[in-house]
Order: sequence, then structure tokens, then C-alpha cells
Amino acid sequence: MSMQSPKEIGGISFGLMDPETYRDMSATKVITADTYDDDGYPIDMGLMDPRLGVIDPGLECRTCGRHSGSCNGHFGHIELAAPVIHVGFTKLIRRLLRATCRNCGRLTMSEEAKEEFRDRLVRAEEINEDPDDVLKAAVRQARKSSTCPNCGEPQADIKHEKPTTYYEVQNVLSGEYSELIAEAMQPDPDDEDDVGMAPQELADEADLSLQRVNEILAGEFRPRKEDRRSLEKALGIDLTEEDMNKLMPSDIRDWFEDIPDEDIAVLGIDAEKSRPEWIILTVLPVPPVTTRPSITLDNGQRSEDDLTHKLVDIIRINQRFMENREAGAPQLIIEDLWELLQYHVTTFIDNEISGTPPARHRSGRPLKTLSQRLKGKEGRFRGSLSGKRVNFSARTVISPDPTLSLNEVGIPDRVATEMTITINVTDRNIEEARQYVSNGPERHPGSNYVKRPDGRRLKVTQKNCEELATKVEAGWEVNRHLVDGDIVIFNRQPSLHRMSIMAHEVVVMPYKTFRLNTVVCPPYNADFDGDEMNLHALQTEEARAEARVLMRVQEQILSPRFGENIIGAIQDHISGTYLLTHENPEFSETQALDLLRATRVDELPDADGTDEAGEPYWTGRTIFSLLLPEDLHLEFTSSAGDTVLIENGELVSGTVDENAVGAFGGEIVDTLVKNYSERRARIFVNEIASLAMRAIMHFGFSIGIDDESIPPAADEQVDEAIANAYERIDGLIETYRNGDLESLPGRTVDETLEMKIMQTLGKARDSAGEIAEDHFTEDNPAVVMARSGARGSMLNLTQMAGCVGQQAVRGERINRGYEDRTLAHYQADDLSAEAHGFVENSYRGGLTPREFFFHAMGGREGLVDTAVRTSKSGYLQRRLINALSELEAQYDGTVRDTSGTVVQFEYGEDGTSPVRVSSSADHEIDVEGIADRIVEAEFDSNAEKEAFLGRQEPPTNLSEYAEPRGYEEVESDD
Amino acid sequence: MVDVSQHELVPEHILLDDDSEVEQVLEEYNIKRTDLPKIKRNDPALPDEAEPGDVIKIVRDSRTTDTAIIYRLVVR
Repeated sequence: MSMQSPKEIGGISFGLMDPETYRDMSATKVITADTYDDDGYPIDMGLMDPRLGVIDPGLECRTCGRHSGSCNGHFGHIELAAPVIHVGFTKLIRRLLRATCRNCGRLTMSEEAKEEFRDRLVRAEEINEDPDDVLKAAVRQARKSSTCPNCGEPQADIKHEKPTTYYEVQNVLSGEYSELIAEAMQPDPDDEDDVGMAPQELADEADLSLQRVNEILAGEFRPRKEDRRSLEKALGIDLTEEDMNKLMPSDIRDWFEDIPDEDIAVLGIDAEKSRPEWIILTVLPVPPVTTRPSITLDNGQRSEDDLTHKLVDIIRINQRFMENREAGAPQLIIEDLWELLQYHVTTFIDNEISGTPPARHRSGRPLKTLSQRLKGKEGRFRGSLSGKRVNFSARTVISPDPTLSLNEVGIPDRVATEMTITINVTDRNIEEARQYVSNGPERHPGSNYVKRPDGRRLKVTQKNCEELATKVEAGWEVNRHLVDGDIVIFNRQPSLHRMSIMAHEVVVMPYKTFRLNTVVCPPYNADFDGDEMNLHALQTEEARAEARVLMRVQEQILSPRFGENIIGAIQDHISGTYLLTHENPEFSETQALDLLRATRVDELPDADGTDEAGEPYWTGRTIFSLLLPEDLHLEFTSSAGDTVLIENGELVSGTVDENAVGAFGGEIVDTLVKNYSERRARIFVNEIASLAMRAIMHFGFSIGIDDESIPPAADEQVDEAIANAYERIDGLIETYRNGDLESLPGRTVDETLEMKIMQTLGKARDSAGEIAEDHFTEDNPAVVMARSGARGSMLNLTQMAGCVGQQAVRGERINRGYEDRTLAHYQADDLSAEAHGFVENSYRGGLTPREFFFHAMGGREGLVDTAVRTSKSGYLQRRLINALSELEAQYDGTVRDTSGTVVQFEYGEDGTSPVRVSSSADHEIDVEGIADRIVEAEFDSNAEKEAFLGRQEPPTNLSEYAEPRGYEEVESDD
Repeated sequence: MVDVSQHELVPEHILLDDDSEVEQVLEEYNIKRTDLPKIKRNDPALPDEAEPGDVIKIVRDSRTTDTAIIYRLVVR
């Protein structure tokens, strides 16, 4: 903030630079290809000339007198022995050559046409069209004229050989014209009717005198253009050949110099800023040493930057070019050298030109030259300017901690003592600040740096901390350690949606990992198989307030993607609540209190009854109901299939499972956020997670291979079902072979057979699944998980216990492999189920080698699909973000881009927040319900207006630490 | 030829031929004519008499608000 610029940028214009300007701004001319002399000093007028800036500490810049760090460096220049083309402008050069006259340099189009294109350019600018399209059209127009309308000079076609060679192509009379004519006059030996052509005939036909024809045939007279045309016509041959005249950069420069200012304006070029001849380089700017710093290796040797290497090449060739020219070397050698110079200048600018071998380092690595520094993901724009590295951040492995609130994050003490938050010392917090300083940098709630009002930063050390603490006054800044309750930003890549970056409250803990409550795994898409996450400490009061209000985890419970909660119970939580509520088990007082020990409930309601021994018991549903708000009414269907009924905050009937409390649209969580508050929902989710963990630990929950086994009798039934299917398929194949199979509408007979076989096999697997399912008990842990929605599905169980089923590649039975068969184990044209990837065994029973192979084929397709999908969707996301990044919802409800153009007249066409409106089809917007609720709330306040006015809004977004100990007032939140 | 403007999925495109109405819209959103979203003159949903520079009012069905109104500027 102390570096505020006194100027404001009004605009930026891009253009070419005049070679004279290069010379003017140059600090020195560079003529020596060497960098440092034997003593290690930079050579004068060499590439490391001290006038180009300094990189070694202690040296003084000979241009500005400053030292390394404050001197930004200064450009030098190389006088090129001959002009060369700038690769960045090859397309523009081609266009200009094609659009202008080779003689007078004017555009080869009429004044009216010029006027038209000038108008079109103005219009394109007005309606935001690409002026490049106009430019292209103008070039196309100009290229049409074969002669210059201004001077009458015939125009040649321009051929561009990439990257930097241009030719003028003209059709001229072939040198072998006489031979060509004579050959055409000979009779064709293969064609008896063709008797050839006598010179007299030719003369008549071509309207020439016989004598002239004979002269031409003797090669003594070169036919003129008109004569050539008539001869060609008479003989039906082509007498021309292409004459390629290479345009040297100097020729192009001379050509461009002739183009008048007003003519290039038609092509959209402002001659004030960019004269076309400046495209051809005569002077090469040498970037300051600060842009190409050399590094000193451990052995004291200097290693130069790639750009310096390239400049050395350029200077060497430039030198050789000049020497050879002065010595009067043959044209051929000069041209070779010129091309070499062109190559070096080209690769200096861009080393990834197609058709040109890239310049390489001694080690064989391609050099990273100017264009490569800017381009791409790691380039200057995406890598250094848009993407920045930040301070006050930490990264480590994550691990779960169910004792934390979902709003919290556990931070290792060693991170907390390293990462700091800046506090401004005032009269009110001076004691606190002094305490932090006196604790020093190693004792936990300490500090690492202090900043005096004069801007001087002092490091707090173990030695000076006591003394420094006494000096701290109001107006100082103290960088204190992170302490419990601080707000920090927590992030897991890939940051695909806004819930990938959320604000948490710090809890400092021992050990080395970040700890988080398992209910925040879905929004981050995190697991604990080695995932790492990033943490950022916020440095200003504004940032902390904003993060607390907008980004805290509890504010992100609802996902804008589908408008329902994305935070809720997962996996074992769901199994836990299922076990607790499905069969409504009974618990003794001790058991009930143990289940609720991590919640705010510490008193049980009246018992639900007494058991045989006369001891009171509480049911699972009663215990669950203690976590619900007292006025909650809900009715919905659970994942397990029964109807869940909640009345007055009491779970009357039904199973609490994924549909009730799960992440991704658990009804109770969703209703709590929408109808109560984020705070109430957070408390509920925290408590449900701890209750569920207690419940699942109470019952005990484990799974093993035997849980997927079925009795031998059932196995036999499965085998029978599959055998039945095989029989039916054999029947189908038989009918098909006999040609009796009726095709389905729109299908061929083969397709019909395939479909029918697939159908039969699908049914076989389903019936195998049903048989298996019948033999599973209700308390089977795998069934509990599948029914409750905690993990896995009944299909997974079917595959483990019954039959894996048909393997598919590209949605069809497996058909690839050898000719007419999938594997060498089968007969050709075997259409049976097992020959095309039907796995009749179960995972538990084990696959045969052939089945295993087919299974691997199907599995591989899945892997490839995921890999392709992630890369495709990543790029799509990047493009979407770039396209939409500047759109903003305005205060008037419209969505506009930065230039003020309206994109939507009402945000989302309805002005509703996607967070609050569920997008799933079975969630109709309950307009009446909402209206009723609001009207009811209104009436309430009218009846007790006094009370309403006197009522205090509950404080929002306080740290959990700042909240009153009891949660009792939470119930009256809404 | 099928007249797409009669198709049930194509929302109603109404030409605002009254300039005061256009002015009112522009004033409501405090924008210039060129800040409106564009629609090409050759768009088959447009009424035949629409010319570049005209403003079109489009009334779309909406799941949440019943109808949503959008204005577009006809361009070449």
C-alpha cells in the first residue's frame, strides 16, 4: 500500500517499434559474442556489459548507477549485417506482399474498393467484430488484380515457404520450348490416326508465318507472350515453367517502404505506430542481463541463460557475415550465411516453429527462448502473472478426527508455530499482544515477528522475546501464531466447485497431519488414503470477516449444484443410524447415555418402558429424536423403503438412513438448513455423526468373506437359473441358425439375436441375485450397508454371492480378439454365452481364467473411460471458467460482463439462488408451503408485536468458542 | 418450409416497434442499445419485419417464474 502508483493507466496500444527507437533506447551496442573475461569481469560491449544492468550483488549499474535488485536492467542492441524477417509477422508479411504492388507499393485495388474496406473496418470496430476478417477480405480483393491499377505493373503470385522464405512466382517460357514444340508435332506412335503436324500446319493454326515457326523450332527466336499462347492452343501443350524468384528480406523491406500510409490504413494498420518495413529487423534489441541472469555453479563455473546462448550465436554469425561480405565472398556463401542468421534470429524469438529444427543446448535439450517463456501453462502469463505462489500457507496429509466439529480443522502444532496472523496492536489488545511476544517463537501461542510503526520488522527470538514484549506499543504489528478459533481457509485440489475451498476454525493439535471431521469429505471429495490439503491463514480483518460469514463450512452445507445439502452423514454414520432406528432396539440408561455422550443432550426423557427385569429402556428412535428440533414435521421415504414420519420433533416411525441424514440430499439435514438455520443444521450434523459413531460401536460392525456366502442349496439354484438361461440361448442360436429368428423392428437379425441373448443373460444374473438376496439375513452387514445407502449396492452383493454376469466392451458382448472368435479356446462363430464374456461364477466363488480375461477387458474399458473423462472435463472446465469469469450479478438483478453488456436480465431468468432451490425433479417448489410458513410467522409477530420488536436477533457466525455454553436458545433460532 | 417460429419450443419473439417502449427498457436497465444481447437478423425465430437495430422482446416459459422476459438487439 505504500507503493501506490501516482499514475493511472488510461490505455494500452500495441504497435511495432522503429529501429531508430531501438538504437535510441539502447544502452550499448553489442559486438562481442563473449560474456566474461578470464578474470571474471564482464567484457565491454559484450553480452554481459555492465551498462545492460547488474545481477551480481555489489556491482553498480553503469547506466543508472543502481545496484542489483533495484536496477531493472537496460536494453542493448545488435546491428544486424543484413535485414532478417521477424517470425512473429510472417503471415502479415505474406498478406502485405500479396495485397500491394511489387513496383509502386500501393494496394492493388481501386480507390472505391479501398474506401469500402476502410468503412468496413470502422463498422467492425463499432459492432465488436473481428477486424481480422475485414483485413483478410481486403487482401483477397487485392490479390485478384493481375496488374496494378495504379502503375500497370503485372503482379506475380507470392509463394510463402514456411517459416521465413518468400518467392515471387511467374509463369515464363520454358527454356526447352523448341524441343517441347517439336515433340508435340511428332506423330503419336500409339495412335495410328495421329499423323503429326507439319510446320506449315502449325503456322496456319497459330496464325504465324512459316519462317517464324521454323525460327522458333530452331530455337533462334523466343516466341512472345501472344505467340506462345497461340502455339500452346494449337498444339494443346503447356510451354511455360514456374519461375521462382526468391525475395530476400532486404527486397521485402524496400518493397514495404514504398507502401503509402493511407494504403495500409485500409488493412487496419496504423502507420503512425507501425510502419510495415519495421517488421523486417535491421537492429536486434538485446534484452537486459536481468532477463537472462547467469548462474554460478558450485564449482565456480558460470552457466549462461538460454537467451544469452542464442545471442552469442547471433553475434557470431553476424560477425562472420560481415567479414565474408567485406572479403567479397561469392553470393552463394553470403546467402548461406544470411539464411543462418535468419535461423538464429528466428529461434531466438520462437524455438518451436514447425518446419525448423529447434536450436538445442549442448546437452540436446531444446533452448527456451522468448516465445517459450511466455507461452503455455508454465509461461509468464499463466504461470507467473495469473498464477501466484503465496505466503502464509501450509500443506500436509489429512486424517480424520470425529471429535472435531465440521467447522473445525486440526492443525499440527508445528504448523501453528510457523504460520502467523498479523494483529494490529491497540490499547485494547496490548496485553494480549505482549503475551504473544513474550512467549517467543517456540512456545505455542507465541509470535515470530513484530513490526514497528516505522516499518522495521524485527524477528522474535528465544533470546530477545522478553525484552521485545516490553517494547510493544499500540501501533505495532505482531505476527502471532495460529490459535484455537482463528479462521483459516482450507482447500483440496482439484478445486472444481466452491465447496473445494472453505473456511475452518483452527484447533491446534499434536502430530503432523491436518485433521478434519469426516462429514466434510464429500464437499472436498477427500479420503484419507494419503490425500494432502492446503491451508491459508488470513491476514486482514476484512478477509477474516468475509471468510467467516461467507465461506465457513456451515454456510456451505447446501450445494449450488443441486440445491440440497452436500454435507451430511456418510458411510459408517449411515450404517450407525440405520442400526439405531431400523428395528428400533432398546437401550438401558447407561447405554443410552453412552450413545449421547458426545452430544449436548445430558438428560434423558421419560423412559419408553421397562424390560422384564423392570429396568427402564429407551428406544433407538427416541434417542435419535433427541437431536431433532422440537417443532420438526417431516414425512418421506427412506432408502430402505419404509416411510419416515417425524412429528413434533419425534421420530414416530421409519428408518433413518441415507435419505434422511446422508450427504447429497438427506431430507432432515436439508430441511434444517432451509427452514431453521445453518447453525442448527451444523449442530445436527455434528451430533448425528457422533451419535452414529457411538451407535455403530455399540452394535459392532464388521464384514468378511463369509458374509457374502450363500448355502449350497442356493448355489445350486443359481446354477440352475444360469443353466436355464444357457438352454434358452441355445434355443435362440438354433432358431437363428435355421434362419427362423424374427428380427425386431429396426434391427437386423444379428442385432436381434445379440439383444435377446443379452436380455436373457441379464435376467439370469438378476434371478441369481434374487436367489442370493433371499438367503441373506436382514442383519447381514453387507445388506445393512446396501439397504441403508452407506456403501455398495445390492448389485455388488449379487456379483459377490451369485453371478458376476455379462462383461461388456462398448455396450456389447465381447466380440473382439481373433477372427470370428474371442479366444483360441473357442470354435469360430461360437455364439454361446461363455464364448462372449458371460461370467457365470461369483467373485466369492472365483472366476475361471477365461472369465477373468473377459472381466479384465470390461474393467480396462472403465479405466480408460475415467481417464479420458477427467482430462476432457478438466479442459472443458477451464474454457468455461475463462468464458464466464467476467460475468457478475449486479445489484439490479441483471447479469452483465465487464463491458456492461447484459447477459441475463434477471439472474438465472428467475432471480432465485440455486442454493436454495432444489433442482431434482421430485422436489417441486412448494410455493404454498413457503407462503404458509411466512404468513404464519407474520401472524405470530402481529399477535405479540411487543415481543417481536423486543426480540434480539441471535448473533451470526460467531466462533463456536464465542457461543454461550448452553445451546438451549438454538431452538428458537428461526 | 417449416416455420420454426410456430414450434412449441420456440418462445415468442415480439418486435418492439414502439420506440418509447424500447426507451423504457433501456432506461430501466440503464444501458445503451448496444449493451443488449444480440440476435442475428437471419435467425429463423424472428418476425419477418425485424430489421437490424430493432429490439425484440422474447417471452420464455420458466419453471420457477412462469415466464421470463428477455430483450435482444437485432444485428446483421
